[in-house]
Amino acid sequence: MVKKRLIFTLLYDLDNFMLSRNFRLQKVGDLSWLKEYYDFNSITNSIDELVVLNVERNKDKNILKFSENLSVLVENCFIPVAAGGGIKSMDDAYNILNAGADKLILNTALYRQKNLVREIVKTFGSQCLVASIDFKNENKEKKIFSENGAFEEPLSFKEAIINAEELGAGEIYLTSMTKDGTGQGIDVDSVFEATTITNLPIIASGGIGNFKQIFEVIRVNEIDAISTANLFNFMSDALSDARLFVEENGISLAKWQDVKLVKN
Amino acid sequence: MVSIIDYGMGNLKSVRNALNYLGYESRIIDNPVDILNSSRLILPGVGAFDKAMINLNNKNLIEPLNKAVLSLGIPILGICLGMQLLASQSEEGDKIDGLALIPGKVKKFKQDKKYKIPLMGFNEVNFIKNDNKLFEGIENHSDYYFVHSYHFEPENNADIIAKTFHGIEFVSSVNKDNIFGTQFHPEKSQSNGLKLINNFIRIK
Repeated sequence: MVKKRLIFTLLYDLDNFMLSRNFRLQKVGDLSWLKEYYDFNSITNSIDELVVLNVERNKDKNILKFSENLSVLVENCFIPVAAGGGIKSMDDAYNILNAGADKLILNTALYRQKNLVREIVKTFGSQCLVASIDFKNENKEKKIFSENGAFEEPLSFKEAIINAEELGAGEIYLTSMTKDGTGQGIDVDSVFEATTITNLPIIASGGIGNFKQIFEVIRVNEIDAISTANLFNFMSDALSDARLFVEENGISLAKWQDVKLVKN
Repeated sequence: MVSIIDYGMGNLKSVRNALNYLGYESRIIDNPVDILNSSRLILPGVGAFDKAMINLNNKNLIEPLNKAVLSLGIPILGICLGMQLLASQSEEGDKIDGLALIPGKVKKFKQDKKYKIPLMGFNEVNFIKNDNKLFEGIENHSDYYFVHSYHFEPENNADIIAKTFHGIEFVSSVNKDNIFGTQFHPEKSQSNGLKLINNFIRIK
């Protein structure tokens, strides 16, 4: 049986890595900052998967530049990588995959370019498509958004999930804009509701501030994975501490031997 | 020279990055001459079996691969679809022939609500043989990254070196003489995977 996943999401804007709160961005640092303060190579040893999202607030994102930087970022990253943000063409898809991504993340295209989504699935397979769905949950009313949260889409939570499934997505990356960056924890009720609508693996995202919250979500049987984009709370040892905490509380995550043992 | 075979399918870059990290020079090749003068061959693969065989055929790589592996004894590692291509035949598509380097068939997993297909994620690899060189220095039940909907059933049990559970017990690694295969992606399996790749390069 596959193990549950602890995923880290890097939010990238042209050359910088960002922190996000309710989808408002704050610049934190660039690639050398990431490598210096964040010791990126050791972080990847304590996560199951990496997501890199291009959150450039521009209708036409610079996918070429993103791909170039992605390629450098993942050089010493020996885990699955999902990347996206602004994919509008097969060229964009090829560029990102050739840069080293294993999976593509699509959001706005799920609503506006359904044929592109179908073509991506046909060419690369369902396992290569992660459907990113952003939602707000206010007063128990859920609304769906596209374009980095700027535009409200006229369909329900349920319809959006079914739409992604019908288009052939391999999994769903579900983000609560309401909880994003608040550190208040994941909107578990909404994520759980999503698991009753579809059988696809769901990655819960938005709101993680500490590792107790990680555990609270990952212990739910139906939830396959959790993602955090919180660059501050998860520096250096914090992610491996999170893994330990989850393990100590009875959930088995993937384990890897000490990197020092790798070379003879 | 370690050669990674490019037949238009597969995440070549990740394999190359892994070899770089381990300190091994490698090259990406797609022609018969280079196959024959390699010291190690890696056959990666993501995608459909029949498309892969068609591509290998179109590039005239099938005969050189056979010669390199069977006559010259060059060690080869098939990864994911690459391992499946070692088989005699696959159930996928038009029942096309594989490289037939390890007798057996490739079959599709049955749909299961609990054990989702494609199998996507880290899963435990359980040794059938405890002393295979490919897994030297690696603990039994170690986690490796899988992403596939088909699995390989070798004809001879002797060729099976590891199995993994996902609804059924399926073969996760094979070895016959100088021919090795892993259903999982060692280049996506953190240090466990790097260790395995290192072992393969160092095999005598």
